[in-house]
Amino acid sequence: MNNLRLPPPRGSPSGLRLRSTHSSDHSPASNSKESKDRIVQQTDQDASQSRVSAVETGYLHDDFAKAFCAQEGARKFPLINRGTFVRTTALDRLVNTFLSASPNQRKQIICFGAGSDTRYFRLRQSLPPDALKNLVYHEIDFAAVTTSKVAAILRNQFLPSADIKAVDEAAGYLVADGYYIHPLDLRSLQPGCQMITGVEPDTPTLFISECCLIYLSPEEADAIVRWSTGDFTGSVGMVIYEPIGGEDAFGKVMIQNLASRGIVLKTLKKYSTLERQRLRFKALGFVDGQQAADVYFISEEWIGESEKERIARLEMLDEVEEWRLLARHYCVAWAWRGEEFAVWKGAVPLQTE
Amino acid sequence: MSDLDRYIELLRSCKPIPEASVRELCHKARELLIEESNVQIVDAPVTICGDIHGQFHDLMELFRVGGDVPDTNYLFMGDFVDRGFYSLESFLLLLSLKVRYPDRITLIRGNHESRQITTVYGFYDECMRKYGSASVWRHCCEVFDYLALGALVIGAGPSVGSGEEECELEVVQTNGDITRYRRGHGGHLGGPPGTGASGFSGGSSQSAGAVLCVHGGLSPVIATVDSIRLLDRKQEVPHEGAMCDLLWSDPDDIDGWGLSPRGAGFLFGSDIVKHFNYANNLSLIARAHQLVMEGFKEMFDSSIVTVWSAPNYCYRCGNVAAILELNEENGAILRSSGERGGGVTGGIGGGGMTVRAGPGRRYRVYEAAPQDSRGMPAKKPVADYFLLQ
Ligand SMILES: C[S@@+](CC[C@H](N)C(=O)[O-])C[C@H]1O[C@@H](n2cnc3c(N)ncnc32)[C@H](O)[C@@H]1O
Repeated sequence: MNNLRLPPPRGSPSGLRLRSTHSSDHSPASNSKESKDRIVQQTDQDASQSRVSAVETGYLHDDFAKAFCAQEGARKFPLINRGTFVRTTALDRLVNTFLSASPNQRKQIICFGAGSDTRYFRLRQSLPPDALKNLVYHEIDFAAVTTSKVAAILRNQFLPSADIKAVDEAAGYLVADGYYIHPLDLRSLQPGCQMITGVEPDTPTLFISECCLIYLSPEEADAIVRWSTGDFTGSVGMVIYEPIGGEDAFGKVMIQNLASRGIVLKTLKKYSTLERQRLRFKALGFVDGQQAADVYFISEEWIGESEKERIARLEMLDEVEEWRLLARHYCVAWAWRGEEFAVWKGAVPLQTE
Repeated sequence: MSDLDRYIELLRSCKPIPEASVRELCHKARELLIEESNVQIVDAPVTICGDIHGQFHDLMELFRVGGDVPDTNYLFMGDFVDRGFYSLESFLLLLSLKVRYPDRITLIRGNHESRQITTVYGFYDECMRKYGSASVWRHCCEVFDYLALGALVIGAGPSVGSGEEECELEVVQTNGDITRYRRGHGGHLGGPPGTGASGFSGGSSQSAGAVLCVHGGLSPVIATVDSIRLLDRKQEVPHEGAMCDLLWSDPDDIDGWGLSPRGAGFLFGSDIVKHFNYANNLSLIARAHQLVMEGFKEMFDSSIVTVWSAPNYCYRCGNVAAILELNEENGAILRSSGERGGGVTGGIGGGGMTVRAGPGRRYRVYEAAPQDSRGMPAKKPVADYFLLQ
């Protein structure tokens, strides 16, 4: 049933069709690689619905979330909305710190498993023209995910048509001025692999993984991080957002619950603490700085008082202990090598365990 | 068999009852509850339970662990609904038991027994899903308005168990392990060292005063239990004021009063509790409202306890649950505690348990019911995580 085609040589846009995009093969869950991948791809729907829910309840301002949400879901509970708010705010802060320093320097962002992420389009609205002109932004995800994103971009005319250099809606591929969507299986990235079209290996580059690398095996995830430090010659930084702490009662239930839906957090065990996250970066080449903080710490220490008050007024949060519990099981970890990322030093309050 | 017994039987197997029956049941319940005072007087022995949150199968587990109605007297401190998938069955079962055995079961109101909160946290949606209209939700909300705001347990004895097994504090774990703590014998037996248990300060083994049960806690505008009796409770839970605070506040390690992160109610410190208990001749405040991973948590020299009765809360938190049994003064043993021979003593996790004052207490700790328990419909619960579902 699977009309899977062999991956074409990387770098040829027209051929970048890794797997069937019109998935007529919605076969019942089997253990095949395809069905496992499909489950991972569907996690983007939840991410996207969470974003829409946080926007509609007033936590976040985002003009694009709704357009990228393929299927509307029920509104999320307040603590989920708060989690979406905190992680988005935290990542925005690190991204903006990187981008706002030396605006005349050309910079690159590569987002792993970008899914329906709206960050690039929000940056287009908020960045000063200079900084935007000097930014090249790459998003990578499975074709099954990127096709609907490309379609949404075209449908809503989120990019001026003059900016669009090449597009293949069916393949989920798009090249625009300073913006690329690559339908690509991340597992093909490893030190020495063929460079992705349009990626500039010597431009200072920020890599983002928002709940993505955790779905890969530790070997695959490590290879990608090593690729980021090994195949890129300039300054490199990485921000990861993902669950931690699988060893306590909460973590065990989380692993069980997700497993019953076929979701396996493959690197959770290996990178289960803030310390392990830091060591991970250090070992894989981000030698100049490694930091990590849990989402509860971030919600308390990174968010200003007035913003906290605004959030507190949005919804009654009758889940305070649960919020603490859940938020302590997610982390933002970030690390760097090279001077373009020195601005991260002292940029945010640090958590000492 | 009476209609009521039929509803009970249906609900016990987690089946919803017809809409007309819900209306009738709610009507009867209102007639009963309207007669109750804001602070119901309840005689020991009684088993005090915390939040249930629609976790029907775990409520069945609670009854299995604590004994069935009407053999055991129960006091539920609210939050029957929301979050779990069977709010309707859980609440209606408790309500029908209340109507059937009014003197055996006491229900007080939690902050989730409110129109506003149930529309956010699931009960409204569940009613719509199961009945296709909001009328059942509306009937239930009308009952919520009549629920008592608190209860005063009187006649609780200073110990639980009898003979060799008599002690002031007993913790029965899920695996049957029993830990007993005694005062007068240098604190507890065989517990973790360094708990300071031998520091028990009073030979004054005073006869236990009453135990006040509320869902949340105290209020800066309420100095006496009597002043709770004067409130007009028959309304939606207000956003502020005494009634709101009773349902929303939390104890915290602060001095005096503090702002609550929940956006309603207050935080209150140990000085507030001790003063309130002294002024009102209370030996203990029992409350629910806050998830505790160990099922119960005594604070402020055992002047207040949180009881949490929803194991693996939201099918996600991994916590155990507990119920609190209070014995009758000079009474027969509440219920044999001989799950596993007597006299097993050992430390409970965390340590720091000190027996100081208050009534004899037995905490029964339990875990979530197995998913396929007893052939009941157990839809696979779906718990939300940040970004992962
Ligand atoms: C939980 S979603 C997060 C989406 C987005 N980063 C966000 O935060 O909204 C995980 C994403 O990672 C993508 N992903 C996981 N494994 C991948 C792989 N091997 N190759 C490409 N994308 C992958 C999934 O398709 C999905 O879109």
